Amino acid sequence: MSAKNMEKVEQATNRKNISLPMSRVRLIMKSSPDVSCINQDALFLTTKATELFVQHLALSSYKNGSGKETNTLSYSDLANAAEESETFQFLTDILPKKILAREYLKSLEEMEKDADNL
Amino acid sequence: MDGDSSTTDASQLGITGEYMAGSHFVLAQAQEDEGDEGLNDHEDGDGSKDNLREQDIYLPIANVARIMKNAIPQTGKIAKDAKECVQECVSEFISFITSEASERCHQEKRKTINGEDILFAMSTLGFDMYVEPLKLYLQKFREAMKGEKGISTVTVTEGMGEELTDETFTNPLPAGIITADGQQQNVMVYTTSYQQIPGVQQLQFS
Repeated sequence: MSAKNMEKVEQATNRKNISLPMSRVRLIMKSSPDVSCINQDALFLTTKATELFVQHLALSSYKNGSGKETNTLSYSDLANAAEESETFQFLTDILPKKILAREYLKSLEEMEKDADNL
Repeated sequence: MDGDSSTTDASQLGITGEYMAGSHFVLAQAQEDEGDEGLNDHEDGDGSKDNLREQDIYLPIANVARIMKNAIPQTGKIAKDAKECVQECVSEFISFITSEASERCHQEKRKTINGEDILFAMSTLGFDMYVEPLKLYLQKFREAMKGEKGISTVTVTEGMGEELTDETFTNPLPAGIITADGQQQNVMVYTTSYQQIPGVQQLQFS
């Protein structure tokens, strides 16, 4: 690819102003049941909205968590944001609060014991 | 929880007694390795999709992480599991919006999801603060697309895996597949800098 071509392409993509791959977004959209066709505008809007969403989620969670000394955005900041904010409520299923592995394995054993006793 | 691929052996999962999600047994890391190899290269559409479950399809973590980084104050850091987590949240968000939009389409007996459906879905689902800025971005996008009809096809090298560091983004990258047939089905655009559009108000996420 010539340098001139590359420059043209870059200018074009900068003008489009998105930084997420639309083809991947499309793949995710298509994996929803009963989705047949997605027009170009819809794809762009979803991609751009996703960017806004990432910013929104990151910033909200970060702000919530920055009461502590650490200035690191952690998983639990995200989990808390999902629980506390109405907008992010839909994420509560995939953002469970974490437990220690050994606690989980313990409860698993107990569940199996209960199943055996039935 | 999946009965097929889960294991209760902590050592196999690679956890050293640290935290893990209560309901997801298989950590995002493991899924990432399997799912993304097929996703990075070919966008076949037919064969590659069969092996992937809906929850395995994510956006590249490098891109997601970069957007996050630009959103928080410069001194802030992001834990690795937070990045992976947002990756999953993003897929969830896309599915969330899409199914709402799709439902409306069905109700109105239409087959194609258009821009209005997406915007309406966002309003309905509590993201109406995105709607106005999105309309402006869409305008700019349309203008950019108009100017591109003359550009010939360029190939994209999908050497961009999940390990992109910030340094990679300071160099110009070959951008994407821009087809000249007007179809634009596999447009993948990567920008090297995240630009703000003058005139579009910064969203306040308080």
